[in-house]
Amino acid sequence: MADNQKAVGVSVPRIEAREKVLGRSVYVDDLRREGMIWGKVVRSPHPRARIVHVDVTEARGLPGVVAVLTAADVPGDRYVGPLVKDQPILCSSSVRFEGDAVALVAATAEEVAETARDAVRVEYEILEPVLDPIAAMSPEAPQVQAGGNVASYSKLRRGDVEVGFRAADVIVEDSFSTQMIDHAYLEPEGAVAEVDAEGKVTIWVCSQYPHYDRQEVARVLGVSLARVRVIQTTTGGGFGGKFGSPLVSCYAALLAARTGRPAKVLYTREESLRTTVKRHPYRIHYKVGATRSGKLTAVEARFVGDTGAYLVVGRAVVGKSTSHGAGPYEVPHVKMDGYAVYTNKAPAGAMRGYGVPQVAVAYESLLDELARKLNLDPIEFRLKNVLREGSQTATGQTLLHSVGVAETLERAADARREMTPHLKTGKPYLKRGIGVGVSWHGIGAARSPSQATAYVNLCGDGSATVLCGSVDIGQGSNTLFSQIAAEELGVPLDQISVVTGDTLTTPDCEATTATRVTYLSGNAVRLAAEKAKGTALELAAKHFGCLPEHLILARGKVQVPDAALEISLTDLFKKHAVQQISALGVFSPDCTPLDPETGQGSPHATYGFGTHVALVEVDQETGAVRLVDYAAFNDVGKAINPQAVEGQIEGAVAMGTGYALSEGMIFDRGKILNPSFATYLLLTAADLPPVRVGLVEAPEPTGPYGAKGVGEPSMNPVAAAVINAIYDAVGVRIRELPAVPETVFAALKTRQPLPADR
Amino acid sequence: MSISLCVIVNGNEHHLDVAPHHTLLDALREELGLTGTKRGCEVGDCGACTVLLNGKAVNSCLVLAAETEGAEVVTIEGVAGREGLHPLQEAFIREGAVQCGFCTPGMILSALALLRENPRPSDAEVRQALSGNLCRCTGYAKIVQAVLDASDASLVPGFGRPEGLRPSR
Repeated sequence: MADNQKAVGVSVPRIEAREKVLGRSVYVDDLRREGMIWGKVVRSPHPRARIVHVDVTEARGLPGVVAVLTAADVPGDRYVGPLVKDQPILCSSSVRFEGDAVALVAATAEEVAETARDAVRVEYEILEPVLDPIAAMSPEAPQVQAGGNVASYSKLRRGDVEVGFRAADVIVEDSFSTQMIDHAYLEPEGAVAEVDAEGKVTIWVCSQYPHYDRQEVARVLGVSLARVRVIQTTTGGGFGGKFGSPLVSCYAALLAARTGRPAKVLYTREESLRTTVKRHPYRIHYKVGATRSGKLTAVEARFVGDTGAYLVVGRAVVGKSTSHGAGPYEVPHVKMDGYAVYTNKAPAGAMRGYGVPQVAVAYESLLDELARKLNLDPIEFRLKNVLREGSQTATGQTLLHSVGVAETLERAADARREMTPHLKTGKPYLKRGIGVGVSWHGIGAARSPSQATAYVNLCGDGSATVLCGSVDIGQGSNTLFSQIAAEELGVPLDQISVVTGDTLTTPDCEATTATRVTYLSGNAVRLAAEKAKGTALELAAKHFGCLPEHLILARGKVQVPDAALEISLTDLFKKHAVQQISALGVFSPDCTPLDPETGQGSPHATYGFGTHVALVEVDQETGAVRLVDYAAFNDVGKAINPQAVEGQIEGAVAMGTGYALSEGMIFDRGKILNPSFATYLLLTAADLPPVRVGLVEAPEPTGPYGAKGVGEPSMNPVAAAVINAIYDAVGVRIRELPAVPETVFAALKTRQPLPADR
Repeated sequence: MSISLCVIVNGNEHHLDVAPHHTLLDALREELGLTGTKRGCEVGDCGACTVLLNGKAVNSCLVLAAETEGAEVVTIEGVAGREGLHPLQEAFIREGAVQCGFCTPGMILSALALLRENPRPSDAEVRQALSGNLCRCTGYAKIVQAVLDASDASLVPGFGRPEGLRPSR
């Protein structure tokens, strides 16, 4: 931007906010095409069964029905999946979870399609489902997938935990379990597909990764990638759930290809809650040792992630738990064993935090237990062990820069002090307590290579377009890209147009997941803009006969500040017969993959950190827990848009508190009992207090302007802080999430007498 | 079989033929093309389809279209006036209350209903009024702040009478 005006570090409103407050943004359900048909999916009511026979006669005969498809009608590959192609588009021989797809119907009206769906007769031989992930690991258990129920095993070995535990003066050990939760974005999944006269397919879909949808649609239709175009519609939330499950795109594409008519498939809320990917439920066992002076000596953990019927990204989720399972602490001896296990439940996939919130609940609970045994303050104890610049992580990675976790702890101590006067309730049955949770999150996927790509086209008037494959799913990345380009090119924000989410025009940047967009794609946009600017300055340098580094670009003009000379880009371009300057930016983070035997390596170029403080009130008569006050401190490197960063953190606090207190898929013999928002309980505005957010900026030298990212690091410590606050309030350790009133009440009944001071 | 009815939507009279089981949400989205009203659950749990029906915030998925004969309905498309955005819409933008935007229309209409009844609500009153509208992105913090900000703006003359919004019956 011009003069001293900056675009980075400023809370500009998001670029599409006006459209959204006017109700004009087009989400997938808002699309209508001439002659459009509606698709519905026939789903298994059984968690595990053999398909004996599928009778589509009645459904096909209904007036208005234009297609009824089964697995045999899939022209190309019949299986999809981001890591392993194990999930059938339509099941042909067996179903592996309640909701597995068996057939696909389409009709000229949505209601007719629903009738046709219910008219497809499927005969099943019902089999005993595999539901308990621990039992599923036994060789005698029925196999969910042909290769056995243990889908993956990830290890971390650092030092020797036996030595570490021998050096410990105090050891704590406990088991925990966490529940399956849903992403619960307000917009359910959906897609519209259309085939043109040349047979090219266009899909409109709410998605976190349109290029991946394109890959799977092309495979399923048996056509080349270039014949499929996927356009992301305005996406009503993702949180991991709209990545890695390309089924809805495939269904719409199959119907459009089969009938030649535009086809829409939109999941109902019940379908979304029952059948789409979930957060992995975990069974966790931890053992942690420390010396009398409060130094951690060893951490040993074993955890099993229930990945459901299909792998999706289960291997990587559990891998993230393994690499992050020792927390943001220096621990000389670490041993982690993580398993992803198949069961006959809805597949678990990516969800904000990706395996870290689960283990954070366990290790942060035990750190509080250790602090108590050592008679140390929980924050002081953590500060003695926390990672700092120069520290080695449990994977053996030395962190040289941008380790702001100690500062988040110090600020958390201040917040706790401010909350302390509010511990009194005046009612004997209401007890309040304060808990702290600390966590971290590696930025980007834990593998190599990972890459982001962007193009910047600089026009003669100084304005520019940015083309990037990373999609905005509501978190605000399009605004961030425009801020970065505006900053580099010296123009106001409204001079930048951002194009994302169209596979025809934007490069494949990988998914909007893994807290990777600000760091990876933000860097790609910055590099492309810098390169475009560099080319313009070189042209101008020739014109002025000076060095390009003596020039600045601002508001469409190249200026020689020392000589008070300037030339407009329009004139400069005309002089050199240049129409526009196009530049490519590519960014690949510097990391090394983890050794499969030891889990050692540098899986992430940088890490986000956070310390959160929760003040809760427990009603001892009912077991109900209420969040009274909350303070969140996250080290984000640099907040490119502070308001958007705060918004991410505030959203994470609500989601994480729901994870701690109210949310969870409830099963009865493998069937979900609560597939609605009346029974799957998200927290409402009335359930939450105002949240205080503190941004810590320990700049990351390789990040764009020092930025790292915040989406997942803000989620990871929340449940841990809330669970620790419950202990502080009433002296019971909740080991099973969620801490619903029944669970808390039961724990209160068995609690040991409280320390006398509260 | 269909039912003929006359309904005033955003100040304009519409004559519609609706199926007896179709909801107001169906009629707004399918018949009138007013897709700013969102379908998030269709069973009254999420609030994304909130509109004003005779001045009251309702889940339009729980109202049969046939019940709305003669009624006045305001959707998100009718909140802004000719002179520009409604102060609530301005506040939502300014405060960063919009993320994915799917809950935004319903939130704004619930907030509008609140401010018409109670022009200077407390934080707790705003939270209560919005408790039927779910949001998964924002944690509600900036939404509540936006409504509080707009309620201060409500002191300026003309507030609460955007285009299409008439005194409730």
